[in-house]
Amino acid sequence: MKWSRQNPGWVMFGAMIGLLFFLWGMAIPLAAAPDPIGPAAKQFAEGARVTVWLTLISGSAGVLLGFIAGLGKLSSFLPLRWLCSFYVWLIRGTPLLLQILFVWLAVPQILPDSLQISDFACAAIALALNVGAYNTECVRAGILAVPQGQVEAARALGLSPLQTFLDIVLPQSMRVALPALANNLASLVKDSSLAYAISVVELTMVGYRVQAESYQPIPVFLTIASIYLILTTAFTTLTAALETQLDVGRKRQENN
Amino acid sequence: MESLQSGLKPIIEAREVCKRFGSFEALKGVNATFYEGQVTAIIGPSGSGKSTFLRTLNRLEAHDSGSILVDGIELNDDLKNLDAIRREVGMVFQSFNLFAHLSILRNVALAPMRVRKTPKAEAEAKALALLERVGLADQANKYPIQLSGGQQQRVAIARALAMDPKVLLFDEPTSALDPEMVNEVLAVMRELAYTGITMLVVTHEMGFAREVADRIIFFDRGAILEDCTPEQLFTQPAHERTKAFLSQVKHGF
Repeated sequence: MKWSRQNPGWVMFGAMIGLLFFLWGMAIPLAAAPDPIGPAAKQFAEGARVTVWLTLISGSAGVLLGFIAGLGKLSSFLPLRWLCSFYVWLIRGTPLLLQILFVWLAVPQILPDSLQISDFACAAIALALNVGAYNTECVRAGILAVPQGQVEAARALGLSPLQTFLDIVLPQSMRVALPALANNLASLVKDSSLAYAISVVELTMVGYRVQAESYQPIPVFLTIASIYLILTTAFTTLTAALETQLDVGRKRQENN
Repeated sequence: MESLQSGLKPIIEAREVCKRFGSFEALKGVNATFYEGQVTAIIGPSGSGKSTFLRTLNRLEAHDSGSILVDGIELNDDLKNLDAIRREVGMVFQSFNLFAHLSILRNVALAPMRVRKTPKAEAEAKALALLERVGLADQANKYPIQLSGGQQQRVAIARALAMDPKVLLFDEPTSALDPEMVNEVLAVMRELAYTGITMLVVTHEMGFAREVADRIIFFDRGAILEDCTPEQLFTQPAHERTKAFLSQVKHGF
């Protein structure tokens, strides 16, 4: 634990490499497993890749959305505040499954025929919007947690509002926001399974199909659960390392 | 104050400065002119408006009416004026407000790099020299949380000096410190006072005010009640309120 705290960069690197190895090489050990897992090894690997992509894409977009809406909620411009609050209220107040179905079924009706999007994209959009709303509150809390004195000191030194935000407020807000954002990302890995409802062939969908063919739900779902656990562990290790990396002042204090 | 003004160039001119917080009148038409090289101690009871007045001088609080001129520039909503003034006026806070996520060296070097576009190497060399001056060069690579309060406040002074300000505002710089750390900060301020920089110091340190200040201002209920030399104020205060305050402070120490 001490080593990983002192070398967050290596931990992040290691977790990333581990995740990639796992995704590429997973089919090989799984293929050696007995029926019904072995013959479906390639499907499991493919499903895991879809789940990871879905998480990474909607997770990144969700962080961006969270920042935009989080800053919007703190804006002095009232209509923008209303808009961002409305977004959070709407998303947090409705089920994720409904949001996914809405994007999948309603958006094609709105868009022109030339602009139709894939099932995967529908799922990514709905998940990004969803996690973005939860991220909004994390970002807002992080920014509010930065003491006003930090802003005053920066402004008194002549830094512009933008410089004050980028150099002082943002890095310090991350200390508070990051654990909560990481939590949302871990949830997202699992929430992405709801994409199976709109026929995205991700990990849960693969499991459902394989057990439907083999009539052996227990080994299949145990395998699926293990893969999810490995994925969430990799993601939380990554974000924990990132937290340590950003938490410079406090880290040095502990080492003292 | 005529005796103090002769031959000096005004650097801050406050005219009829008013400030309210809701229904509370924090400043009731304050008039004061500060001159280059002068060290002014501002004293008074809590809530008398002395800190608020100091904070209007670099617009951490915007005044509601009246005018403030700093080095000939009008302090108003014009961001250009404000930026120009904040480059000339440094501030040291009661609670230090060092940037918690940056090293000591970076704390001092940041503003010149961002505001004056000083190259990094040059800014850091200067920061190190300033840290040397406040006796903390050996702490340059630590973080604020690892330093004692007195050390943090000395870094905060170095940080303010890094912008080469003409005026330094001190807002109760020793009030948050443990007693044994007060002196190290006062020593740095005393040394500064002799370099000829203009200083406005809101303080409860009567000994420091008496020894170092050229001029002392007593605030009461949002207005300046007395404005004279420390000698005059401590030996023959003109107002009963001042006498009462001074005797209270004496008993307190």
